[in-house]
Amino acid sequence: MQIVVDLNRCQGYAQCAFLAPQVFELHGEEALMFTPAVPDDQRERVHRAAAACPVQAIVVGERAGPGVR
Amino acid sequence: MQPDTLFQRITDYANRADPYPLYAELRENGVTRQDDGSYLVGTYHEIAALLHDPRISSDYRSRTHPDEAMIRRNERPPSFIGLDDPEHDRLRRIAMRPFGPPHSPGRIDELHGDITRIAEELIDAFRGADRIDIVDEFAYPLPVTVICRLLGVPHEDVPRIRAWTNAIIDSFDFTPGADQEKRQQAGLDARDAMARYLGELAGGRRGHPSEDMLSALVNDAGPEGRLTDVELMATATLLLIAGHETTVNLITNGVLTLLRHPDAHKRLRDEPGLMPRAVEELLRYEPPVHMLPQRTPLADIEVAGVTVPKGAPLILMLASGNRDPLRFDDPDRFDPEREDNQHFGFGSGIHNCFGAPLARLETQIALGALLPYLDDFHLLDDPPPYRRSPLLRGPRHLLIARG
Repeated sequence: MQIVVDLNRCQGYAQCAFLAPQVFELHGEEALMFTPAVPDDQRERVHRAAAACPVQAIVVGERAGPGVR
Repeated sequence: MQPDTLFQRITDYANRADPYPLYAELRENGVTRQDDGSYLVGTYHEIAALLHDPRISSDYRSRTHPDEAMIRRNERPPSFIGLDDPEHDRLRRIAMRPFGPPHSPGRIDELHGDITRIAEELIDAFRGADRIDIVDEFAYPLPVTVICRLLGVPHEDVPRIRAWTNAIIDSFDFTPGADQEKRQQAGLDARDAMARYLGELAGGRRGHPSEDMLSALVNDAGPEGRLTDVELMATATLLLIAGHETTVNLITNGVLTLLRHPDAHKRLRDEPGLMPRAVEELLRYEPPVHMLPQRTPLADIEVAGVTVPKGAPLILMLASGNRDPLRFDDPDRFDPEREDNQHFGFGSGIHNCFGAPLARLETQIALGALLPYLDDFHLLDDPPPYRRSPLLRGPRHLLIARG
């Protein structure tokens, strides 16, 4: 599983950092860091995080990158 | 006799079970000025813009004519929900420090096992019963147990907390009537009693740190420093009430909605991975918080062609925005797989729900654990009896029976 986050959309609501703290991390208050290749044991958490994003900025797929939806 | 203004009809208890046709009327009418000088906004894009507009205050003191109940409620120091930046931001940051990222990123995730165990214990207790009250036996005890554990409130005090919370929530009922005064006073007394109780509990942990949030709030300090005693009481009261009350309604509304929509119920049974999205849809379709009644413009502002004057009461009807056909396709349909679901279930902007991640996790786990069990059950009362408040709306009881 891979993820991309549209950082132009991200507004720092941090729901992902609560729900999948090993994949999404806040540096300071608003800068979001994330692990693009998701370890298998974090898949369920990443699905929770993607559903919870208030601005729907997280794209989850088997592969991720420019042009992949 | 038909009450005359739209807001009176919305808050009328007779319409509690189904306020949605009134919300459609509100959206149709546009921004409407009520006889009492307040303005109601029920359309999605207007609500979204106002929630992100720094000229909109959450502090009742911004009103030209604050009503009597508000003045008395606010003789107590407001919690951050009723303050503007920079005070709101300072208090919210201090409260966030022991709750979530960046300082405590794993706090909510670590509760996963506890929440699952609590849900399973509650289900075990009524396994075999032919008749269950989902509110009393499941949707209430689950979040109250979790928030008490998180804050460090002894579980044996839950009956007291329930009585105080009910009095406070009932005082948010705007229906005029002979007992309104009494309800307001009972709400204030309960708020004071709960604040004193939590203040004493936290005070006892000063210098004796334990693993809970109350202890962290009195013993740890971040860059913003610590809360004063008065701020601590207001903040802890807010966290305790908001930390379970709305989740009770969300879980109950979830069971109600799934029993009303057998297709969605079956879909989730077959594919439990859909649950996070189903809970988002629930937050749109049957949100626990229907309106934000305490906003006020700091300047004359134009909303959808209407000028709302500085200092006028501005009421944002979140649950109406969630059903706006200009934003959501087929908005009155419950669709657990809905795409692009940017609902107002937790508000939006700087005051977005502090406890949202906890409420999400609790509801996903609670409904997931209950789903397989619900197959044999149906609703005994539809619609169920509702609690009084039009603001924090949810069933008082939800009786389901086997067969």
